Amino acid sequence: MALDVELAEIRSFLAGHPPFDQLPGPVLDALPRSLAIEYFRRGTLILARGEQPTRLLVVRSGAVDVHDRDGLLVDRGGAGTCVGGRALVAGEVSHDQVSAFEDTLVLSLPAAAFETLRAAHPVLTRFFAPPDEERLGRAAVVRRAGARDGSVLRTHVRDLVRRSPVTVSGAASVTEAARVMAQERVSSLLVLVDGRLAGILTDRDLRTRVLAAGRDPGVPVAEVMTRDPVGTPPDALALDVLLELVTRNIHHLPVVSEGRPIGMVTATDLLHLEQANPVYLVGDIQRAPDEQAVARLGGRLGEVVESLVDQDASADDIGRILTLVGDAVERRLLELAEGRLGTPPVPYAWLSLGSRARREQALHADQDHALLLDDAAGAEHAAYFATLAEDVTRGLEAAGYPRCPGEVMATNPARRVPLRAWRHQFTSWLDRPSPEAVLQASIYFDLRHVHGEERLTSLLLDHVRDSARSATLFLAHLAKEAAAHPPPLGFFRGLVLEKAGAHRDTLDIKRGGAGLVVKVARVHALAVGSPATNSRTRLGDAVGAGVLSEALGADLRDAWEFLSFVRLRHQAGQVREGVEADNFVAPDELSSFEKRHLREAFAVVRTAQGALGQRHPLHAVP
Amino acid sequence: MRSAPEGRTPAGRLRLLAVDVETTGLDPARDALLAVGFVPVDGTRVDLRGARRVVVRHDGDPGPSVALHGLTHDVLSDGVPLEQVLAELLAALAGRVLLAHHAPLEIGFLDAACRRLTGSPLRTPVVDTVALQRRLVTSAWEPEPAPGSLRLWAARRRFGLPDVPAHDALSDAIACAELYLAQVAELTAAGGGQEPTLSRLRATGGWRSALRRRWR
Repeated sequence: MALDVELAEIRSFLAGHPPFDQLPGPVLDALPRSLAIEYFRRGTLILARGEQPTRLLVVRSGAVDVHDRDGLLVDRGGAGTCVGGRALVAGEVSHDQVSAFEDTLVLSLPAAAFETLRAAHPVLTRFFAPPDEERLGRAAVVRRAGARDGSVLRTHVRDLVRRSPVTVSGAASVTEAARVMAQERVSSLLVLVDGRLAGILTDRDLRTRVLAAGRDPGVPVAEVMTRDPVGTPPDALALDVLLELVTRNIHHLPVVSEGRPIGMVTATDLLHLEQANPVYLVGDIQRAPDEQAVARLGGRLGEVVESLVDQDASADDIGRILTLVGDAVERRLLELAEGRLGTPPVPYAWLSLGSRARREQALHADQDHALLLDDAAGAEHAAYFATLAEDVTRGLEAAGYPRCPGEVMATNPARRVPLRAWRHQFTSWLDRPSPEAVLQASIYFDLRHVHGEERLTSLLLDHVRDSARSATLFLAHLAKEAAAHPPPLGFFRGLVLEKAGAHRDTLDIKRGGAGLVVKVARVHALAVGSPATNSRTRLGDAVGAGVLSEALGADLRDAWEFLSFVRLRHQAGQVREGVEADNFVAPDELSSFEKRHLREAFAVVRTAQGALGQRHPLHAVP
Repeated sequence: MRSAPEGRTPAGRLRLLAVDVETTGLDPARDALLAVGFVPVDGTRVDLRGARRVVVRHDGDPGPSVALHGLTHDVLSDGVPLEQVLAELLAALAGRVLLAHHAPLEIGFLDAACRRLTGSPLRTPVVDTVALQRRLVTSAWEPEPAPGSLRLWAARRRFGLPDVPAHDALSDAIACAELYLAQVAELTAAGGGQEPTLSRLRATGGWRSALRRRWR
């Protein structure tokens, strides 16, 4: 027994690395005795493509490179990386080639001993099985399982309902209704006609529609109530309610099940759930008296991210909430500017572009926007919109949204033009694409209306949607660009990518991560004429149109969620430390579990890039 | 008993036994052997199945360095008689080359034990990783190794081999064996892919003795 203790160092090494960390203690105690130690000098071949591995290797020190059949680097692993496991489990030859990137010491377990161990411990087989679509999804679930309960984002509406609804018949008088409200100490009543929800009566209705309007309090409630109020089903998430309240600027939402009211949810109920609640931030922004106040409130975005990440909200939810705040800032700045400059001389629409247009905003995102003017606009109106654009851009900058270095902003005269000019611009991108133009133009295909004349935006979007789906050459260029940059698979276990500058030894999780999924989703969406801008929705539309397999679509959505969450959590950490948020993640911020899933997310992206190339043949592109 | 490997055996086919001893001091005539650790090396593979650490039985007080090795009197009185330790070691060494880091210490103690218990000296070819390291770190321009650079842990660091906190006969024997793998890999690369032979590995001197051989 004393002998096993001698190999304790090797045992503890194995105990610290998956999948061996899953083995029972006594099995780990005995394992070192089955091993050999080998050494590979940097640059030497460890496992050739097409070779049947004779043993499982575990990197003890140094690093190995894995190249796939196309000669592409798909993995670079340091201590703990296993070589040959997948081929041994599949009973196949190795599809990859593994070589020593650094001088590398490995532990080796003979194939026969590995088989015996695997038969007794299926966890090993699972670990080395090829990745399946479940894995990333499971990662998201595991991540969430450790989170605190009770956050606004995961609470269901039914859990917020505190009492059965206080109702009144539509035939009752306003006076009777007011008496019920006073008795029951509520600020609103649900009005029933034949047992079904017909309307809602609130404190505000009594003030504005009865008292201020000088109406007789003896009239039936049905005459002053708000008819057919918006309701929510009991299984909706509190997040949905929150968004509903914010976007409609209302405070009460009836909970309705099969047409019958079962309760009421109010903004106050949500307040009890949440302290750093974005609802209140958005509300405050909407009421901000001036640009300074907007800037101050916008500066609290970091806290919002920190608190949402703490509650383990999904990246999708966080992106939507940050978008909501960003939209509120932009709208308020436009209202303030209009108030100062006077009524717009011709109708216009303010367009959001890029990540906020996709409802995927993170921290430290550039401001990307454009102005779409009515075709009636002339040279005499130029000054008004130039000032409007400059004021809003300056306001956004003060609120923490840096200017776009690529001039994708309404301050750029080329991005402040009438509808016909925008149509012409899109047509020229679509009909005469060049690689540079496609790269530059892609951000304009993520476009969403924020403020002003929505009709103008709809006209432009219809035009873009109709012409993009048949623009074969443009789509092929866009697909080529989307597949041009493989995910940075070299980023693993302390090994690095960014080799120079302030961000060396880190991974650009935006450009090399979720950004790659965004590009893939964009090509698919444009090709199938999807009006969506959100990447997850776009992927769903692509699956629906049959251009993307259901499995790959689900994998890509999981990959986007995982990569985006890693990014947001990184930014939340920076907020906590009081440093400016960026997209550069260092390897030691990730657990080995997360590194594994990062690796799988990257593999999914690579597969999707490959499939994209086949669907939009690159040979069509000169 | 298997015959000793021939001088022209290439490293890839060479069988060795990495050995390390724990003693109460450096003088085989006065100091006691406390434990022996060894692990076989087959070509370029360290075989942990054959890894052993054997504690020598001592009933009396073997001296103050006991504390250094963490070998308590209880452990030592639980040990194996020296005859048996030697028999186990010699069985494992049969047909193999003795590999050690600073081999004179291991040879000194094992040879003294052999002479005392069997009446004959220890006969084995020897490869010393200190000598190999000296050859790798010195050149015509750097005739002397940097102070301390030949010590086991410094030598390992040069090859990026991991630091191991433990310090007993077996972990040091394994550490020596790993160092040997790295040294052979470097010598093979330096020789244009040609593996060094046993004779080449046993040549003790650095560049000076190589020069001397050439001019002799």
